[in-house]
Amino acid sequence: MKRLVVIIFNFCLLTMPALVWAAAEKAEALEKKLNLANLTGVNYFFAKWYNENMWLYAIIVTVLMGVMGMLIALVTDIFLKMIGMEVSKIEHHE
Amino acid sequence: MFDMFNVYMPIAEMQFNALILVAIGFSVGVLGGFFGVGGAWVVTPALNIFGFPMAYAIGTDLAHIFGKSIVATAKHRKMGNVDMKLGLLSIVGSVIGVEIGAQNVMWLTRIGLAGPIVRYTYMFLLFGLGIYMMYDYLTKDKRAAAQAAKQAAARTGAPTPPRKAWNLPPMIHFPASGITISFWTVTGVFLFTGWLSGFLGVGGGFIRMPALIYLIGCPTAIAVGTDLFSVLFSGAYGCFTYGIKGRVEIIAAILMLIGAAIGAQIGVTAVKYVRGYGIRLLFAIMILLAGLSVALKQFNLTTTAAWVVMCAALGMCAVIMVKLWRGFVKEKAEKAGHL
Repeated sequence: MKRLVVIIFNFCLLTMPALVWAAAEKAEALEKKLNLANLTGVNYFFAKWYNENMWLYAIIVTVLMGVMGMLIALVTDIFLKMIGMEVSKIEHHE
Repeated sequence: MFDMFNVYMPIAEMQFNALILVAIGFSVGVLGGFFGVGGAWVVTPALNIFGFPMAYAIGTDLAHIFGKSIVATAKHRKMGNVDMKLGLLSIVGSVIGVEIGAQNVMWLTRIGLAGPIVRYTYMFLLFGLGIYMMYDYLTKDKRAAAQAAKQAAARTGAPTPPRKAWNLPPMIHFPASGITISFWTVTGVFLFTGWLSGFLGVGGGFIRMPALIYLIGCPTAIAVGTDLFSVLFSGAYGCFTYGIKGRVEIIAAILMLIGAAIGAQIGVTAVKYVRGYGIRLLFAIMILLAGLSVALKQFNLTTTAAWVVMCAALGMCAVIMVKLWRGFVKEKAEKAGHL
């Protein structure tokens, strides 16, 4: 009996969010085209993708941020190790 | 003199000082690594002060938060501060909560009450949380003494009152945090924190971190690391979705990430040298100042509010770096003493 009550209670709690669920309003896209005339190099590369395909621009931005984050983590880690600030598992004390 | 550091932003189509972006990134990186928060509540007003277009502020901020949280989470993981299982559960709960919160705001907007209600809730939350954490810090010795007395009484055979807990099955064990807790407690807490971040329109790190400590029972350092793990996913999603909408200024995000990644390394390393309660005290001071900034905004003192939050962030950064340096010097001296 107790098990049944627990199952029913679990079911009710699981369905609760669905009762209040609804899609939220999202930020609107910026409708603009960039002027590529005076751009060169990296600036041109990003602006071109921004104009041509926003999805690809978003993928480039996300991947670039992730890769740069990992690279910087690696380099700064090596530097901190060199000056003796390396970290390992710590004891958790309040 | 600083004009030589001006860089052209191809998406925002304007010149902006690279030093300012690196400096903002650095200070938010230190705070993020140390407190386990994204730091959007510091970045947006800071960018605003220096004239960065608001249309790109949030998207650019989220893009750099994603990169920065990779750096900080990797390091926290090395230190054993990330509870993956808890972090993944927090993502699921938070996503649902955020959508519910956003829907509530939509409803309040329709009836014309969104602005004041959201602002007052924000203020109440920041001040309430800050005051509670301050109180918790100031009474920790008293509570420790009471706990010791209780344990002594238990040893002499005196009965101790049973501890009340919400133990509805299924129970989940989190080995990294060393806690066993009802699935419903965890889900409820993350739904609530997600709802708050959706309702207030913030990333939610500053709500989730104390919730992990006080409502779930995580050790402080694990709460910081686990929260950053969740921030990583929300940052990635935010970066992508704002990217699609053309709201990420990629050059600014890269420059901020350079500063933030270095800052995050410093912030995370500082966690090693500061006790859990020390982190909580500094966090309490920071969110009280953030609350003051929101209160100033309520009285239309927007520029003063932005300066308050930026000066608070810079001041806190300095405190964290001093703590790191002191801890490092002490550790070095101790190592030398052992040799």
